[in-house]
Amino acid sequence: MASRMAAISRASRIKTKLETALQAAVLEVEDVSHQHAGHAAVREMEGGAQETHFNVRIVSAKFHGQNLVKRHRMVYELLSDELNSGLHALSITAKTPSEAAVDTQP
Amino acid sequence: MARSLANIIYKGAAAFPAARSTASGSFYQGIFRFSTSVPNDPDTHEDFRPTTKGGSSGLSLKDIVEQDVKENPVMIYMKGVPELPRCGFSALAVRVLKEYNVPLSARNILEDLELKTAVKGFSHWPTFPQIFIKGEFVGGSDIIVSMHQSGELKEKLKDVAGKQQ
Repeated sequence: MASRMAAISRASRIKTKLETALQAAVLEVEDVSHQHAGHAAVREMEGGAQETHFNVRIVSAKFHGQNLVKRHRMVYELLSDELNSGLHALSITAKTPSEAAVDTQP
Repeated sequence: MARSLANIIYKGAAAFPAARSTASGSFYQGIFRFSTSVPNDPDTHEDFRPTTKGGSSGLSLKDIVEQDVKENPVMIYMKGVPELPRCGFSALAVRVLKEYNVPLSARNILEDLELKTAVKGFSHWPTFPQIFIKGEFVGGSDIIVSMHQSGELKEKLKDVAGKQQ
């Protein structure tokens, strides 16, 4: 129960931070820590695999004119407190609204 | 000069710990006394820390990273080794890069926490794997996959692959 509450809190913190700064049109934050439960670096951490790995999908106009490295850096910078407090890895999809529109076409 | 000489001797000594702790102790003390650049406690100086790099003496970790990315057209800092990645993201990045049949140079950051810190500081990127192509930081596994899908990676590795053929 406690771990579930904790997982919700990191995910929601991530969501709030990204939402505020990037004014995202789409923002999905998915906790996939369980997929990395056996991960060497995670095993070494106290408390095991909790809130360590997230998939983040963001569509934001703020990504216009930024290459992928810059987009990822924007996300990492916004989440630096989380990265320094046990967030281990993010899988980031960062698109502009027009790029996201292309993706959804059949 | 004294510093590198001391380093060489120290490395030799480290290979024979028994010799170091017995008869030859005073000899090394002498070396260090005449060396101006080596601090009092040789064990804490970065030149004297255990190293898995096999690089030349006197190089800082930042120098090593700089040299890595300059000399290796495709350089990956990863968890584990290409043959046996220890993390799904590292495995994914290696799998993508191997598609292109390019020479892949890798360092295992799980083996060396100081190297891990040095790479992070060099790229200002918090996670691993980290991939450098022709000296340029290109990102982690998400980006390499994305570049693979968009054709950008093929374009980037075109002349690298050509060299090997």
